[in-house]
Amino acid sequence: MSFKEHVLMEIRTEIVARNDARRRRVRRHLMTAAAATGVAVAAAVAVPVLTGGGSPAYAVTENGDGTITLEIKEFRDPGKVEQDLRELGVTADVSYLRPGTRCAPRRGRSDSGPSFSEQEIRSKDPAVRKRVREAIEKARDGKAVKPAGGGRVRIDPRHIREGETAVMEFTENTDRTSGPEKPGVVWSFAGYLVTGPVKPCTVVPDPSWSVMPDPATNPEAYPPPGS
Amino acid sequence: MRLRLPDIATDPDAFEAFYRRHVDGISSFLARRVEDPHTVADLVAEVFVAVLDSAHTYRPGRGSEIAWLYGVARNTLSAERRRAFKETRLAGRVGGRRPLDADDLAELEERIDAEATARRAFQAMSGLPDGDRAMLELVVIDQLTIAEAAEALGIRQGAARARLHRARRTLRNVPGIAPFVIGGTR
Repeated sequence: MSFKEHVLMEIRTEIVARNDARRRRVRRHLMTAAAATGVAVAAAVAVPVLTGGGSPAYAVTENGDGTITLEIKEFRDPGKVEQDLRELGVTADVSYLRPGTRCAPRRGRSDSGPSFSEQEIRSKDPAVRKRVREAIEKARDGKAVKPAGGGRVRIDPRHIREGETAVMEFTENTDRTSGPEKPGVVWSFAGYLVTGPVKPCTVVPDPSWSVMPDPATNPEAYPPPGS
Repeated sequence: MRLRLPDIATDPDAFEAFYRRHVDGISSFLARRVEDPHTVADLVAEVFVAVLDSAHTYRPGRGSEIAWLYGVARNTLSAERRRAFKETRLAGRVGGRRPLDADDLAELEERIDAEATARRAFQAMSGLPDGDRAMLELVVIDQLTIAEAAEALGIRQGAARARLHRARRTLRNVPGIAPFVIGGTR
């Protein structure tokens, strides 16, 4: 191999090494990776739920396989959701948010999320978006708290370590309100794990709110009618 | 956004395209200034590592890619001269020189021979003030336009013209070099 090819290979290797180092820095300093994935998940999942009026605001169900299903019907009593989950051994932090808002990122230390460069998070390239989404799903965060469709979240305590809190942020969709008078709830969801103390949710405007996910890469954001 | 570097610093494929566009030009640029093939080969690597470090200074809309790259190469060369070719900055590379095979050597020596006139011109220019000499080098020897040379040196075009004019006047009467210096522009 000629020296030109040698040099090219050395520098390609150097670029990859620097990208890895940069990713680690992004993760530490820019925002927690988990919060960033939260943005991605929030964009990706807007699951419509229809429930009858007068039913409890939520339901917590233990499944045979060790997972827990949390079904949100109305946006009230987050403290009771947390309490019920605690009784099942899961420390959770639940926030309900108005349309167009989100919790300010960096609510705590994250040891479990995938990490991405800023470029990857903001990329519009469908291939990159798909890769990011798959990495989110593969990461421990994604396995621990996962939107399960139909207004449900599946929580898997086996992926939550001691000292970690499952942080779940639910955001109402623009044209629906929760509550007995209007039982249909459409929400977006961001879920991730925080190690150690969790800062309270500081509600901030969500700049990505009006950005609709791409149906090609995020089909789950466009459920078939009647689902 | 502090992480929005141009792709060449973060995307290996984008870098490879850039590298293949310019590696011969940079080899010649260095062969005009350095006579030892091993040193040229090492400097090629150092220039392109410097490209990674400096990619954030490149503005696609402002000046040509080659002008920017020659600016990077000049800075690399003077930095390397200051530290007298110590260790490479490439991580993962053990010290010592890059192995050059027979073809590499032949190619580099050919390049170095081809640039012999240019190196003689450098010697003739060596008495000029640094700024004037740099301008003359880039325009006459590296064949940049005045605008590109100004960009490579980070100076305004007016100042670049003045330097060039001064340098040419000084060298007008140097035997054997004058036609080269005066006629060498595009």
